[in-house]
Amino acid sequence: MRSKFGILILNCLAFVGGVGTVPAQALDISSGGTPTITGALNGSVTGSSSVLNDLVVAINFGEISPANTSSLVKVVVPIAVRSNRAYRVTASVSGATNANLQAVQRTDIGFGVNNFRVMGSRARNCARSNHIIYNPFNNNPANSVTINANGRATYPSTINNIVSPTMILSGPRLSQGNAQRRTDNGYIFDVIFTIMPQFYADGITSAVITFTISDGPNAPC
Amino acid sequence: MLKMITIAAKAVFVTVIMVVATSAQSTTGTVNMSGTVSKFVEINSGGAVTLSGNSGGGVTTDGTANNPLAVVVNLGELGPSNTSSFVSASVPLKLRSNAAYVLSLLATVSSSGTTANRIVASDVGFGLGSVTRTGVGVNSTGSDTDGTSGDPTLAANGAVNATTGRFEFTAPGSNLGAFSSSTTALNGAFVLNAVPRSNTNGLTVPAIFAVKPQFYEVGSTTVTATFTVTAP
Repeated sequence: MRSKFGILILNCLAFVGGVGTVPAQALDISSGGTPTITGALNGSVTGSSSVLNDLVVAINFGEISPANTSSLVKVVVPIAVRSNRAYRVTASVSGATNANLQAVQRTDIGFGVNNFRVMGSRARNCARSNHIIYNPFNNNPANSVTINANGRATYPSTINNIVSPTMILSGPRLSQGNAQRRTDNGYIFDVIFTIMPQFYADGITSAVITFTISDGPNAPC
Repeated sequence: MLKMITIAAKAVFVTVIMVVATSAQSTTGTVNMSGTVSKFVEINSGGAVTLSGNSGGGVTTDGTANNPLAVVVNLGELGPSNTSSFVSASVPLKLRSNAAYVLSLLATVSSSGTTANRIVASDVGFGLGSVTRTGVGVNSTGSDTDGTSGDPTLAANGAVNATTGRFEFTAPGSNLGAFSSSTTALNGAFVLNAVPRSNTNGLTVPAIFAVKPQFYEVGSTTVTATFTVTAP
Protein backbone atom coordinates (compact mmCIF):
# COMPACT_ATOMS: atom_id res chain seq x y z
CA MET A 1 0.00 0.00 0.00
CA ARG A 2 2.76 2.39 0.95
CA SER A 3 4.43 1.55 -2.29
CA LYS A 4 1.35 2.47 -4.37
CA PHE A 5 0.92 5.69 -2.40
CA GLY A 6 4.52 6.62 -2.97
CA ILE A 7 4.26 5.99 -6.70
CA LEU A 8 1.12 8.15 -6.93
CA ILE A 9 2.77 11.03 -5.12
CA LEU A 10 5.89 10.74 -7.21
CA ASN A 11 3.86 10.71 -10.40
CA CYS A 12 2.00 13.85 -9.38
CA LEU A 13 5.20 15.61 -8.37
CA ALA A 14 6.85 14.58 -11.57
CA PHE A 15 3.92 15.84 -13.61
CA VAL A 16 3.76 19.13 -11.73
CA GLY A 17 7.51 19.44 -12.01
CA GLY A 18 7.30 18.76 -15.70
CA VAL A 19 4.67 21.41 -16.23
CA GLY A 20 6.69 23.78 -14.13
CA THR A 21 9.59 23.54 -16.47
CA VAL A 22 7.46 24.80 -19.39
CA PRO A 23 7.95 28.56 -19.32
CA ALA A 24 4.68 30.47 -18.87
CA GLN A 25 4.07 32.50 -22.02
CA ALA A 26 4.77 36.12 -21.31
CA LEU A 27 2.93 37.64 -24.23
CA ASP A 28 -0.46 37.03 -25.77
CA ILE A 29 -2.65 38.50 -28.49
CA SER A 30 -6.24 37.44 -29.06
CA SER A 31 -9.60 38.57 -30.24
CA GLY A 32 -10.75 41.67 -28.43
CA GLY A 33 -14.42 41.13 -29.15
CA THR A 34 -16.83 41.14 -32.04
CA PRO A 35 -15.60 43.00 -35.13
CA THR A 36 -18.10 45.26 -36.89
CA ILE A 37 -18.63 46.52 -40.44
CA THR A 38 -20.61 49.50 -41.71
CA GLY A 39 -21.29 50.94 -45.15
CA ALA A 40 -20.84 47.66 -46.96
CA LEU A 41 -22.81 46.32 -49.90
CA ASN A 42 -22.81 42.53 -49.73
CA GLY A 43 -19.91 42.66 -47.28
CA SER A 44 -19.29 40.95 -43.96
CA VAL A 45 -16.84 40.47 -41.15
CA THR A 46 -16.37 37.40 -39.01
CA GLY A 47 -14.38 36.92 -35.84
CA SER A 48 -14.79 35.62 -32.34
CA SER A 49 -16.72 37.64 -29.79
CA SER A 50 -14.67 36.06 -26.99
CA VAL A 51 -11.39 37.53 -25.81
CA LEU A 52 -10.35 33.98 -24.95
CA ASN A 53 -10.15 33.02 -28.61
CA ASP A 54 -7.39 33.59 -31.12
CA LEU A 55 -7.42 36.63 -33.36
CA VAL A 56 -8.73 35.22 -36.63
CA VAL A 57 -10.79 37.76 -38.52
CA ALA A 58 -12.13 37.64 -42.07
CA ILE A 59 -13.24 40.89 -43.67
CA ASN A 60 -15.20 41.01 -46.90
CA PHE A 61 -15.54 44.65 -47.88
CA GLY A 62 -18.12 43.56 -50.44
CA GLU A 63 -18.79 45.68 -53.49
CA ILE A 64 -16.48 48.69 -53.57
CA SER A 65 -17.28 50.03 -57.02
CA PRO A 66 -19.60 53.07 -57.27
CA ALA A 67 -22.46 50.56 -57.18
CA ASN A 68 -21.98 50.88 -53.42
CA THR A 69 -23.35 54.33 -52.73
CA SER A 70 -21.98 54.49 -49.19
CA SER A 71 -19.31 57.09 -48.68
CA LEU A 72 -17.08 54.64 -46.85
CA VAL A 73 -16.86 51.00 -45.82
CA LYS A 74 -15.53 50.82 -42.28
CA VAL A 75 -14.44 47.80 -40.25
CA VAL A 76 -13.49 47.90 -36.56
CA VAL A 77 -11.48 44.95 -35.23
CA PRO A 78 -10.93 44.86 -31.45
CA ILE A 79 -7.67 43.19 -30.42
CA ALA A 80 -6.74 42.07 -26.88
CA VAL A 81 -3.16 41.98 -25.64
CA ARG A 82 -1.59 40.62 -22.45
CA SER A 83 1.99 40.56 -21.17
CA ASN A 84 4.06 40.24 -18.05
CA ARG A 85 6.74 42.52 -19.47
CA ALA A 86 7.18 45.47 -21.78
CA TYR A 87 5.74 44.65 -25.18
CA ARG A 88 5.40 45.80 -28.72
CA VAL A 89 2.74 45.04 -31.35
CA THR A 90 3.76 44.96 -34.97
CA ALA A 91 1.63 44.64 -38.07
CA SER A 92 2.52 43.54 -41.57
CA VAL A 93 0.60 43.02 -44.79
CA SER A 94 0.85 40.61 -47.64
CA GLY A 95 -1.22 40.77 -50.83
CA ALA A 96 -3.32 43.65 -52.14
CA THR A 97 -0.94 44.35 -54.97
CA ASN A 98 -2.24 45.26 -58.41
CA ALA A 99 -0.20 46.19 -61.44
CA ASN A 100 -3.07 48.31 -62.73
CA LEU A 101 -2.81 51.59 -60.86
CA GLN A 102 -6.54 52.13 -61.25
CA ALA A 103 -7.27 48.91 -59.37
CA VAL A 104 -7.39 48.81 -55.58
CA GLN A 105 -3.97 49.49 -54.10
CA ARG A 106 -2.68 49.15 -50.56
CA THR A 107 -2.86 52.92 -50.32
CA ASP A 108 -6.62 52.71 -50.81
CA ILE A 109 -7.19 50.86 -47.54
CA GLY A 110 -7.09 53.15 -44.53
CA PHE A 111 -5.55 51.67 -41.39
CA GLY A 112 -5.60 53.23 -37.95
CA VAL A 113 -5.30 52.27 -34.28
CA ASN A 114 -7.65 53.72 -31.70
CA ASN A 115 -9.33 53.37 -28.37
CA PHE A 116 -6.67 51.65 -26.24
CA ARG A 117 -8.51 50.58 -23.10
CA VAL A 118 -8.38 48.43 -20.00
CA MET A 119 -9.70 44.88 -20.15
CA GLY A 120 -10.72 43.95 -16.62
CA SER A 121 -9.50 44.30 -13.08
CA ARG A 122 -6.29 42.37 -13.56
CA ALA A 123 -4.94 44.73 -16.18
CA ARG A 124 -1.65 46.15 -14.99
CA ASN A 125 -1.62 49.90 -14.49
CA CYS A 126 1.93 51.13 -14.82
CA ALA A 127 2.64 54.66 -13.71
CA ARG A 128 6.18 54.98 -15.08
CA SER A 129 5.54 54.45 -18.78
CA ASN A 130 2.80 55.09 -21.26
CA HIS A 131 1.30 52.89 -23.91
CA ILE A 132 2.13 54.47 -27.24
CA ILE A 133 0.24 54.23 -30.53
CA TYR A 134 2.82 55.16 -33.12
CA ASN A 135 2.54 57.67 -35.89
CA PRO A 136 1.06 57.62 -38.44
CA PHE A 137 -1.33 54.99 -37.13
CA ASN A 138 -2.88 56.98 -34.26
CA ASN A 139 -5.88 58.14 -36.26
CA ASN A 140 -9.33 57.04 -37.21
CA PRO A 141 -9.19 56.72 -41.00
CA ALA A 142 -12.96 57.09 -41.21
CA ASN A 143 -12.57 60.64 -39.90
CA SER A 144 -9.41 61.57 -41.74
CA VAL A 145 -10.05 60.56 -45.34
CA THR A 146 -9.36 63.28 -47.88
CA ILE A 147 -9.35 63.57 -51.68
CA ASN A 148 -5.99 64.14 -53.28
CA ALA A 149 -5.18 66.22 -56.36
CA ASN A 150 -5.96 63.28 -58.63
CA GLY A 151 -9.40 62.95 -57.11
CA ARG A 152 -8.59 59.72 -55.26
CA ALA A 153 -9.33 59.08 -51.60
CA THR A 154 -6.30 59.09 -49.32
CA TYR A 155 -5.59 58.57 -45.61
CA PRO A 156 -2.89 59.53 -43.10
CA SER A 157 -2.06 55.84 -42.75
CA THR A 158 -2.87 52.83 -44.87
CA ILE A 159 -1.85 49.21 -45.04
CA ASN A 160 0.85 50.41 -47.40
CA ASN A 161 2.59 51.65 -44.23
CA ILE A 162 2.99 48.06 -43.00
CA VAL A 163 4.56 46.34 -45.98
CA SER A 164 7.20 45.04 -43.54
CA PRO A 165 6.57 44.34 -39.83
CA THR A 166 6.01 47.77 -38.36
CA MET A 167 5.55 48.72 -34.73
CA ILE A 168 2.11 50.19 -34.19
CA LEU A 169 1.91 49.99 -30.40
CA SER A 170 4.21 49.48 -27.41
CA GLY A 171 4.25 50.00 -23.70
CA PRO A 172 4.88 48.60 -20.26
CA ARG A 173 3.57 45.39 -18.77
CA LEU A 174 -0.09 44.77 -19.56
CA SER A 175 -1.15 42.10 -17.07
CA GLN A 176 -1.05 41.40 -13.38
CA GLY A 177 0.54 38.01 -12.83
CA ASN A 178 1.42 36.20 -16.01
CA ALA A 179 -0.09 36.65 -19.45
CA GLN A 180 -2.38 33.66 -19.19
CA ARG A 181 -5.38 34.22 -21.39
CA ARG A 182 -8.21 35.46 -19.21
CA THR A 183 -11.07 37.89 -19.70
CA ASP A 184 -9.75 40.47 -17.27
CA ASN A 185 -5.99 40.75 -17.47
CA GLY A 186 -4.93 42.97 -20.30
CA TYR A 187 -5.86 45.73 -22.67
CA ILE A 188 -7.91 46.04 -25.84
CA PHE A 189 -7.41 48.35 -28.79
CA ASP A 190 -9.33 48.85 -32.00
CA VAL A 191 -7.84 48.52 -35.44
CA ILE A 192 -9.90 50.39 -38.02
CA PHE A 193 -9.86 49.57 -41.72
CA THR A 194 -11.63 51.74 -44.29
CA ILE A 195 -12.08 51.79 -48.02
CA MET A 196 -14.02 54.29 -50.08
CA PRO A 197 -16.06 52.93 -53.00
CA GLN A 198 -14.52 54.39 -56.14
CA PHE A 199 -14.20 53.86 -59.87
CA TYR A 200 -11.52 51.24 -59.34
CA ALA A 201 -10.69 48.91 -62.18
CA ASP A 202 -12.78 45.80 -61.81
CA GLY A 203 -11.42 42.76 -60.02
CA ILE A 204 -11.02 41.13 -56.64
CA THR A 205 -8.39 42.25 -54.16
CA SER A 206 -7.30 40.38 -51.06
CA ALA A 207 -4.72 40.86 -48.32
CA VAL A 208 -3.63 39.37 -45.03
CA ILE A 209 -2.61 41.49 -42.06
CA THR A 210 -0.56 39.76 -39.38
CA PHE A 211 -0.38 41.21 -35.89
CA THR A 212 2.44 40.07 -33.63
CA ILE A 213 3.16 40.82 -29.98
CA SER A 214 6.75 40.51 -28.81
CA ASP A 215 9.16 41.87 -26.26
CA GLY A 216 9.05 45.62 -26.43
CA PRO A 217 11.35 48.54 -26.02
CA ASN A 218 12.28 49.38 -22.46
CA ALA A 219 9.18 50.64 -20.62
CA PRO A 220 9.48 50.43 -16.83
CA CYS A 221 6.29 49.75 -14.98
CA MET B 1 -5.34 9.15 5.77
CA LEU B 2 -4.11 7.43 2.69
CA LYS B 3 -7.49 7.97 1.03
CA MET B 4 -7.39 11.72 1.76
CA ILE B 5 -3.91 12.02 0.41
CA THR B 6 -4.93 10.12 -2.72
CA ILE B 7 -7.87 12.47 -3.26
CA ALA B 8 -5.64 15.48 -2.76
CA ALA B 9 -3.14 14.12 -5.22
CA LYS B 10 -5.88 13.55 -7.79
CA ALA B 11 -7.11 17.10 -7.22
CA VAL B 12 -3.64 18.45 -7.90
CA PHE B 13 -3.48 16.37 -11.06
CA VAL B 14 -6.86 17.63 -12.29
CA THR B 15 -5.95 21.22 -11.43
CA VAL B 16 -2.76 20.93 -13.39
CA ILE B 17 -4.68 19.54 -16.35
CA MET B 18 -7.12 22.47 -16.19
CA VAL B 19 -4.36 25.03 -16.00
CA VAL B 20 -2.75 23.54 -19.03
CA ALA B 21 -6.09 23.51 -20.86
CA THR B 22 -6.83 27.18 -20.21
CA SER B 23 -3.38 28.50 -21.01
CA ALA B 24 -3.73 28.56 -24.79
CA GLN B 25 -1.88 31.64 -25.91
CA SER B 26 -0.59 33.09 -29.10
CA THR B 27 1.74 35.85 -30.11
CA THR B 28 0.23 36.35 -33.56
CA GLY B 29 -3.20 36.98 -35.02
CA THR B 30 -4.44 37.49 -38.55
CA VAL B 31 -6.97 39.60 -40.38
CA ASN B 32 -7.86 38.41 -43.86
CA MET B 33 -9.55 40.94 -46.07
CA SER B 34 -11.02 41.03 -49.55
CA GLY B 35 -13.15 43.28 -51.69
CA THR B 36 -14.80 43.13 -55.09
CA VAL B 37 -14.95 45.75 -57.79
CA SER B 38 -17.56 45.01 -60.42
CA LYS B 39 -17.78 46.73 -63.77
CA PHE B 40 -19.78 49.89 -63.41
CA VAL B 41 -21.28 52.18 -66.03
CA GLU B 42 -23.84 54.91 -65.95
CA ILE B 43 -25.40 57.50 -68.25
CA ASN B 44 -26.83 60.80 -67.13
CA SER B 45 -27.72 64.12 -68.57
CA GLY B 46 -24.76 66.25 -69.47
CA GLY B 47 -26.70 69.49 -69.17
CA ALA B 48 -29.29 71.61 -70.90
CA VAL B 49 -30.66 70.86 -74.37
CA THR B 50 -29.99 73.28 -77.22
CA LEU B 51 -32.80 73.63 -79.77
CA SER B 52 -32.23 75.62 -82.93
CA GLY B 53 -34.00 76.34 -86.21
CA ASN B 54 -37.35 75.59 -84.71
CA SER B 55 -40.61 77.30 -85.50
CA GLY B 56 -42.77 76.83 -82.47
CA GLY B 57 -42.06 73.93 -80.22
CA GLY B 58 -39.46 74.06 -77.49
CA VAL B 59 -37.75 72.04 -74.83
CA THR B 60 -40.53 70.52 -72.77
CA THR B 61 -38.34 68.73 -70.23
CA ASP B 62 -34.80 69.94 -70.12
CA GLY B 63 -31.72 68.04 -69.08
CA THR B 64 -30.00 68.74 -65.79
CA ALA B 65 -26.36 67.80 -65.54
CA ASN B 66 -25.70 64.62 -63.54
CA ASN B 67 -29.39 63.79 -63.29
CA PRO B 68 -31.03 60.89 -65.07
CA LEU B 69 -31.47 61.51 -68.76
CA ALA B 70 -35.17 62.11 -69.46
CA VAL B 71 -35.41 64.87 -72.03
CA VAL B 72 -38.54 65.82 -73.96
CA VAL B 73 -38.26 68.11 -76.99
CA ASN B 74 -40.95 69.46 -79.30
CA LEU B 75 -39.30 70.23 -82.62
CA GLY B 76 -42.22 72.39 -83.68
CA GLU B 77 -43.24 72.92 -87.27
CA LEU B 78 -41.38 70.68 -89.74
CA GLY B 79 -43.31 71.66 -92.85
CA PRO B 80 -42.03 74.15 -95.43
CA SER B 81 -43.50 77.03 -93.43
CA ASN B 82 -40.40 76.64 -91.30
CA THR B 83 -37.76 78.25 -93.47
CA SER B 84 -34.78 77.05 -91.45
CA SER B 85 -32.38 74.66 -93.09
CA PHE B 86 -32.70 72.29 -90.16
CA VAL B 87 -34.46 71.96 -86.85
CA SER B 88 -31.77 70.64 -84.59
CA ALA B 89 -31.73 69.48 -80.97
CA SER B 90 -28.46 68.86 -79.18
CA VAL B 91 -28.81 66.70 -76.08
CA PRO B 92 -25.68 66.48 -73.87
CA LEU B 93 -24.93 63.02 -72.50
CA LYS B 94 -22.57 62.18 -69.67
CA LEU B 95 -21.02 58.72 -69.41
CA ARG B 96 -19.06 57.35 -66.48
CA SER B 97 -17.44 53.96 -66.14
CA ASN B 98 -14.60 52.01 -64.57
CA ALA B 99 -14.37 49.73 -67.61
CA ALA B 100 -14.55 49.90 -71.37
CA TYR B 101 -18.05 50.94 -72.36
CA VAL B 102 -20.49 50.67 -75.24
CA LEU B 103 -23.17 53.28 -75.82
CA SER B 104 -26.08 51.95 -77.84
CA LEU B 105 -29.11 53.67 -79.28
CA LEU B 106 -32.52 52.26 -80.03
CA ALA B 107 -34.86 54.65 -81.81
CA THR B 108 -38.49 54.40 -82.80
CA VAL B 109 -40.27 56.85 -85.09
CA SER B 110 -44.03 56.82 -85.47
CA SER B 111 -46.11 59.18 -87.52
CA SER B 112 -49.81 59.81 -87.93
CA GLY B 113 -49.22 59.98 -91.64
CA THR B 114 -50.00 57.04 -93.87
CA THR B 115 -48.13 57.70 -97.08
CA ALA B 116 -44.51 57.54 -98.13
CA ASN B 117 -44.39 61.28 -97.64
CA ARG B 118 -44.81 61.04 -93.87
CA ILE B 119 -41.79 61.55 -91.66
CA VAL B 120 -39.95 58.26 -91.21
CA ALA B 121 -36.84 57.24 -89.28
CA SER B 122 -34.50 58.06 -92.13
CA ASP B 123 -35.79 61.64 -92.13
CA VAL B 124 -34.48 62.18 -88.62
CA GLY B 125 -30.83 62.90 -88.73
CA PHE B 126 -28.67 61.74 -85.87
CA GLY B 127 -25.05 61.93 -84.88
CA LEU B 128 -22.73 62.47 -81.98
CA GLY B 129 -20.71 65.63 -81.55
CA SER B 130 -17.26 65.98 -80.08
CA VAL B 131 -16.40 63.65 -77.24
CA THR B 132 -14.88 65.42 -74.24
CA ARG B 133 -12.82 63.74 -71.54
CA THR B 134 -11.69 66.46 -69.18
CA GLY B 135 -11.62 67.13 -65.47
CA VAL B 136 -9.97 65.72 -62.36
CA GLY B 137 -10.17 61.96 -62.27
CA VAL B 138 -11.09 61.49 -65.92
CA ASN B 139 -9.10 59.08 -68.04
CA SER B 140 -8.18 61.83 -70.46
CA THR B 141 -6.02 59.58 -72.62
CA GLY B 142 -8.74 57.04 -73.27
CA SER B 143 -9.88 56.77 -76.87
CA ASP B 144 -13.41 56.54 -78.23
CA THR B 145 -14.88 55.28 -81.47
CA ASP B 146 -17.84 57.14 -82.90
CA GLY B 147 -20.21 54.92 -84.83
CA THR B 148 -22.01 57.91 -86.30
CA SER B 149 -20.94 60.48 -88.85
CA GLY B 150 -21.09 63.38 -86.41
CA ASP B 151 -23.40 66.34 -86.63
CA PRO B 152 -26.07 65.31 -89.17
CA THR B 153 -26.42 68.88 -90.39
CA LEU B 154 -22.92 68.84 -91.80
CA ALA B 155 -22.97 69.16 -95.56
CA ALA B 156 -21.14 65.89 -95.97
CA ASN B 157 -23.84 63.96 -94.15
CA GLY B 158 -26.81 64.57 -96.40
CA ALA B 159 -28.12 65.89 -99.66
CA VAL B 160 -31.18 66.17 -101.83
CA ASN B 161 -31.90 62.97 -103.67
CA ALA B 162 -31.57 63.87 -107.31
CA THR B 163 -34.28 61.45 -108.31
CA THR B 164 -36.91 62.01 -105.65
CA GLY B 165 -36.00 65.51 -104.57
CA ARG B 166 -36.28 64.52 -100.95
CA PHE B 167 -33.51 65.54 -98.60
CA GLU B 168 -31.80 62.46 -97.16
CA PHE B 169 -29.23 61.88 -94.48
CA THR B 170 -26.93 59.63 -96.46
CA ALA B 171 -23.76 59.19 -94.40
CA PRO B 172 -23.32 55.98 -92.37
CA GLY B 173 -25.14 56.15 -89.05
CA SER B 174 -26.46 59.62 -89.82
CA ASN B 175 -30.18 58.97 -89.37
CA LEU B 176 -32.38 57.02 -87.00
CA GLY B 177 -33.07 54.39 -89.61
CA ALA B 178 -29.71 52.95 -88.66
CA PHE B 179 -30.84 52.54 -85.06
CA SER B 180 -34.17 50.80 -85.46
CA SER B 181 -32.62 48.01 -83.41
CA SER B 182 -30.15 48.63 -80.60
CA THR B 183 -26.94 49.66 -82.32
CA THR B 184 -23.61 50.89 -81.05
CA ALA B 185 -23.22 54.62 -81.39
CA LEU B 186 -20.05 55.06 -79.37
CA ASN B 187 -17.58 52.87 -77.53
CA GLY B 188 -14.33 53.44 -75.78
CA ALA B 189 -11.94 52.98 -72.92
CA PHE B 190 -12.83 53.33 -69.26
CA VAL B 191 -13.89 56.85 -68.41
CA LEU B 192 -12.87 57.46 -64.82
CA ASN B 193 -9.77 56.68 -62.84
CA ALA B 194 -10.13 55.49 -59.25
CA VAL B 195 -12.17 58.38 -57.85
CA PRO B 196 -15.29 58.39 -55.71
CA ARG B 197 -18.76 58.62 -57.14
CA SER B 198 -19.01 62.09 -55.62
CA ASN B 199 -16.63 63.22 -58.35
CA THR B 200 -19.08 64.44 -60.98
CA ASN B 201 -16.73 64.47 -63.94
CA GLY B 202 -17.09 62.11 -66.86
CA LEU B 203 -17.19 61.80 -70.62
CA THR B 204 -19.59 64.24 -72.26
CA VAL B 205 -20.90 64.04 -75.77
CA PRO B 206 -23.81 65.79 -77.47
CA ALA B 207 -26.40 63.63 -79.19
CA ILE B 208 -27.64 65.69 -82.12
CA PHE B 209 -31.01 65.13 -83.74
CA ALA B 210 -32.04 67.06 -86.86
CA VAL B 211 -34.91 67.24 -89.28
CA LYS B 212 -34.91 69.21 -92.49
CA PRO B 213 -38.27 70.94 -93.00
CA GLN B 214 -39.88 69.58 -96.17
CA PHE B 215 -43.27 68.99 -97.79
CA TYR B 216 -43.95 66.06 -95.49
CA GLU B 217 -47.43 64.64 -95.21
CA VAL B 218 -49.48 66.55 -92.70
CA GLY B 219 -49.51 64.97 -89.27
CA SER B 220 -47.59 64.55 -86.08
CA THR B 221 -44.55 62.42 -85.48
CA THR B 222 -43.11 61.00 -82.29
CA VAL B 223 -39.49 60.00 -81.96
CA THR B 224 -38.22 58.03 -78.97
CA ALA B 225 -34.50 57.55 -78.58
CA THR B 226 -33.26 55.26 -75.83
CA PHE B 227 -29.58 55.30 -74.97
CA THR B 228 -28.06 52.41 -73.09
CA VAL B 229 -24.52 52.10 -71.82
CA THR B 230 -22.99 48.75 -70.99
CA ALA B 231 -19.63 47.32 -70.05
CA PRO B 232 -19.24 44.10 -72.01
